Amino acid sequence: MITAGIDVGIESLKAVILKDGKVLARGIGLSGGAHRAKIVEQVWSEALAAARLKPADIGKVIATGQGKNDVRFADDRVVEPVADAWAARFLYPKATCVVDIGADQARVVTLGKDGITEVVMNQKCAAGLGILLKSIARTLGMTLEEMSGLSGNPAGGVTVNDGCAVFAEMDALGLLNRNVPRQDVARAVMEAVAVRINSILNDKIMPAKDTTVLVGGLSRNIAVVNALQRRSEIGFMIPEHAEYAGALGAALMAAS
Amino acid sequence: MTQEYWRWPESRWTSEDIDWKKSKTVTAGVDIGSNSTQSAIMCDNLLFGYANLRTGPDYRESAGAAMRQALGKSAMTLKDIRYTVGTGWGSRNVSFTQKTVDEINCHARGARFMHGPAVKIIVDLGAQTCKAIRLYDWDRIRDFVMNDKCAAGMGRSIEVMADLLQVPIQEMGERSLAVDKDPEPVSTTCYAFANTEAIGLFREGYKESEVLAAYLFAIAWRIHGTIGRVQPEKELAFTGGLAKNTGIVKRLEREMKMTALTSEYDPQLAGAIGAALIARDIVEKA
Repeated sequence: MITAGIDVGIESLKAVILKDGKVLARGIGLSGGAHRAKIVEQVWSEALAAARLKPADIGKVIATGQGKNDVRFADDRVVEPVADAWAARFLYPKATCVVDIGADQARVVTLGKDGITEVVMNQKCAAGLGILLKSIARTLGMTLEEMSGLSGNPAGGVTVNDGCAVFAEMDALGLLNRNVPRQDVARAVMEAVAVRINSILNDKIMPAKDTTVLVGGLSRNIAVVNALQRRSEIGFMIPEHAEYAGALGAALMAAS
Repeated sequence: MTQEYWRWPESRWTSEDIDWKKSKTVTAGVDIGSNSTQSAIMCDNLLFGYANLRTGPDYRESAGAAMRQALGKSAMTLKDIRYTVGTGWGSRNVSFTQKTVDEINCHARGARFMHGPAVKIIVDLGAQTCKAIRLYDWDRIRDFVMNDKCAAGMGRSIEVMADLLQVPIQEMGERSLAVDKDPEPVSTTCYAFANTEAIGLFREGYKESEVLAAYLFAIAWRIHGTIGRVQPEKELAFTGGLAKNTGIVKRLEREMKMTALTSEYDPQLAGAIGAALIARDIVEKA
C-alpha cells in the first residue's frame, strides 16, 4: 500500500509519500499562518507530482504536527511524539530515545520494547528556540546555513542568556553594540540554544549515550548539534532527512 | 516563498529646495536603535534630509550609511555639518558625532518638533523597549517609565510574527482591524509566549484577522500598562516603528480613551530629529 504522512509545524510543513518502507517523494513548504490549509494542498500536490501519483493512489494519509487539523483530506491524525517514535524505530531499530528539536518546541521521547515509555516537552520558557535562530540570523546579516557552518567554540566571555529567547536576543544585540564580531555572537547564541536543549534532556530523562536519535529542523544546524553533543556527551544518530521524521512516522503508521 | 514579510520599507529623502549654504546652522542627529537606524539633517529649523534604515550587524557602518543617504545627492558633506548628536542603543559606536544624548530627551524634542509644543506625553514604541515620557509645560522631562525586562523585544517579535503568519509587516495593523469585535488577547507577559499562542489560535479555527487582533491587542494592553504609569492626558504622541501599526495605535486610543497626535513626519524619525535639534541648541548656546 502507498501511504503518506504530513507534518504541519509552526514554521514549516513536510510531506512524505511511502511505499513498502521506501520513501517515494518528499515535499516541504513554509506553514504560513492563515494560508496553512492552502499550503498543505500545494505541498501535497507537489509531493504527488514528484512521486508521479494521483490522490486516489494513496491508501491512507495521516497528519501530525501542531496544525494537523489543517490537513482536511487526512484519514487520521496523530500526536507528534508518536510520529517521532515510529520514525526513530524505523530508521534505527535499536533506538531507545528520540529527541525532536523544532522551531518552537523541543521534545524527548523514550522508547521501550512495546512503545513509548515517556515524553518530556520543553518548559514554556524554552519556546521558540528555532525561531530565535532565524531572527538572530537576520540581525547578523547571515543565513542559517552560514551560522550552522561556524566551527569552533564561542570566544571567552561572549555569552548570551540561555534561559529565555527574548533575553538571548537582547544580549546578542548588546554584544554587537560592544563590537563583538558577528560570528562570535552567532556562536554564543547557538551555544545558548544547546544549553537550553541540554537542560531539557537532563530534566527527567537521561537519554542513552549511543542509541538516541536526533530529528527536527534544528538538528540540521551543525554548530548547535556539535555544542549539544559536547555538553550532553550523547553521540546522536541523525538521519539524512531529519526534518521529515514526523511526516515519515505518520506515513509509517498509515501503512501499519 | 522568498517574500520577506518581516522586512519593513526603508526610506530616505533629501530636500531639493532648501539652500543650505544660506542657513545659519546645519546640524545632524543619528539615532542608532537595535533594529533601525535614522539620521536627520536640520538647516536651522527645517528638515533638510533623513534616512531610515535597518540596523546591520556593524553599528558604525549602519550609522555611516544613514548619514550618507540623508546627504543624498546634495553638495553637502559631513564637514558642512557644524555639530552632530548621536542617540539610541548603539550611539557609543559612532565616530562622527560630537556628543551623545539619551533617547528620552531626543524623542521628547523630536516629538515636540513634529507635533507642536502642546504635546505632553510621548510614547516611544521601539524594537526592544517601550518608553513613556511626560513633559512639563516647557521642555523639561517630568516623568519617564520604561517597560520591564520581560516585555522586551516587542517590535522584534512583530517581525517574527509577520514572518510566521506570512503577512507583510506594514499590513498587519490594518488587517487586524477587520474584526467586528476584538477576541481575548493572547499572553501579555512575554512575546515568545504571545507568538506561540497566537499561532495556536489557528488550531481553534480563528481567522487571520482574529489572530492578528488577539496578538496586537495583547501588545497594546502591555503598552497601556506602561503609559498608565505616567499619568496620561487626553492627547499623546507615539514615536518609533510601532507607531505606524494602526492595529496597536487604534486599540490604545480606544482602551485609554485618548487621541494619538499625527504629523507629516515619519514617527520613526523623532529620535534623530530631536538629536539634530539638541545639536543646534548646543551650537547656539556656545
